[in-house]
This record gives sequence, structure tokens and C-alpha cells, in this order.
Amino acid sequence: MLKGHLDMIVLAALAAGPAHGYAVIEEIRRRSGEKFELPEGTVYPALHRLEAAGLLASRWTTADSGRRRRVYSLTRRGERALADQRVVWEQFSIAIGGLLGRARTGKSPA
Amino acid sequence: MISEYAESLADKLGFDRLLARRVRQEVEDHLWESVAADPAGDPLEAQRRAIARFGDPQLIAAQLAAASLAERMRKIGVTIVLVIAGIFVAMKMRVAWYELTQWALCENAQEFSETMGIIDRSAFWLAVAGGIAGWAYIARRPAAPSLPSCQERIRRFLLLCAIATGGLIAAVISDGVLTALRLSGWEWSAYFLIPLLTMAIEIACAALLVFHVREVARRMARAAQLLKSEAA
Repeated sequence: MLKGHLDMIVLAALAAGPAHGYAVIEEIRRRSGEKFELPEGTVYPALHRLEAAGLLASRWTTADSGRRRRVYSLTRRGERALADQRVVWEQFSIAIGGLLGRARTGKSPA
Repeated sequence: MISEYAESLADKLGFDRLLARRVRQEVEDHLWESVAADPAGDPLEAQRRAIARFGDPQLIAAQLAAASLAERMRKIGVTIVLVIAGIFVAMKMRVAWYELTQWALCENAQEFSETMGIIDRSAFWLAVAGGIAGWAYIARRPAAPSLPSCQERIRRFLLLCAIATGGLIAAVISDGVLTALRLSGWEWSAYFLIPLLTMAIEIACAALLVFHVREVARRMARAAQLLKSEAA
């Protein structure tokens, strides 16, 4: 289930500001209340794919450790895509909530 | 341990050296940071855990390959449209030059020239149709997250590219024949400059497209080995 929404999750994790891959995973873990435990490496293909689609931009920086670090940030298109996906997700969430709620009511004895 | 893991991942992406180098640096940075955050005192154990959390290198390499190939296809889609536009402008410039200089064909070449003109136009419009279809096919779809679905898309895209490239090559060859007919029988002069220059532009554009399409086909073949070794 998480797999199909990975791009949206990565965009949402970057909404707080630019971050490198490890920080993106930490942000996903923190904001999901440690519910999302995905193989950490799978975030990189998503970051590369979103960058190729123009939703993210990236640049090299140097970390305190002296290692080269790739930092990703949302582009304007990425911000718009995230806003669109939020609307779609909210509608979907309301619809599913309504369906499940009704189903529960339907089963309850009269 | 971390360097070896990052190196093995980069090796799998050998079809794209820039990507391989970038991935190696990103993965090393990630894993060392993961080790630094590990509460365990044993550094080797922390490295082993960081690598285990990172995931299967084969799977990650295949997903990165899919992202890289998708990006390259998008670039080729734009290149095809630009190349077709470039060739069209070069053709129009040459025809305008012939009209401006009232450069007529010799009588006995008229019939052959008409036949070549039909081939030229048909091949060019076939290339336009293939090129626009290829560009639209890529531009309208988001990148596939997995390599098998990406490969299927590349196959279809390469077929459209082959139609566009084949059409352009036929158009450029017939343009070359038509230009040779037009120039034959005349003394060499500065008037030859525009026809020869526009032909050179056409040949360069077609060669550029062939190079890019071959490059994607080569990369796709290398990336396909990732799937084969995964299946083995």
C-alpha cells in the first residue's frame, strides 16, 4: 500500500524544507509515528524519479563530516503537485471514511 | 563493508557512469550517517545493520535504472522534435535559396526529381508522425517505478523513434540526391554554399538523433541484464 504512495510521501517529507536522502527517511519515520518502515534504499529511486519529472531539484553540498551530500528540495511544480495530491487524498479519505462508516452502521442491528 | 556495498550498487549501474558515481556517493553518505546514529557500540555490527536496512542492492539498482532511462527517454523525445524542426528549417532555407537565385533543374532530371520529391515528403511526414507520437507517448506518462514496466515503455518508444529516425534518414538521403541533381552541371561557385550548408545541417541533425536512440537502446540492453541477474 505504501509503495503506490511513495512519491507523494517523499514530496510531503520535503515540504518542510530541503533535505538529503537520510533526512527524508527520518522525516517520514518521525511524521508517520514510526509506522512507515520501508527499505531505506527505495527512497533514492523515488528521489531520482521525482527530480527527473521536475518536481524536485537537487545540489551537492558538503556535510559536517566532510562527505559530499546530495540535498533535494521541492520545485514550484513539486509544490503544486503536492497540493493537488493533498486534495485528492483528502477526498479519497473522506469517501473511504464514509463507506466504512456506513458499512458499520448497516451491519448494526436495528 | 559500506564502501563495498556502495561499490557493488554502483557497478550494477555501470551503463551510466554519472549515475553510478552519484549513487555511490549518496549511498555511502547515507550509510555512514545511519552508522553514526546507531546506538550499538560495535561499528561493524552497526554497518551490517545499516546495510540490511538499506535493502537489496539489485532491487534498488533496477529502480534507479528505471528512473534514469525514463529521464533519458524524455530528453530524446524533446531531441526528436528539435531535430525534425531543424531539418525542416534547413529544407525550407534551401528551397527558398533556389527560388531566390532562380536555380532551375536541368530538363532531363525533372521526372526523377519529382519521384524523389514524393519519397522525400512522404519520409519526412512519416518522421514527423513518429516523432510527435514518441514525444507525446513519453511526455504524457509519469516515469514507471519498476524496470520491467519501464522496459516495456522503452520498447514502444524505441519503435516510434525507429520510425521517426528511419523516416528522417530517408528524407535526408533523398534531399542529398535532389541537391546533387540541382548542383550537377553547374560550375562551382559561392551559390553552392547554402545548399551544401543546409545539407550538412540535415546530416548532423539525423546523426545526432541516431546517436541518441542507439545510446538508449544500449543502456536498455545493459539495464536488462539487471533483471536477468535478478531472476537467476
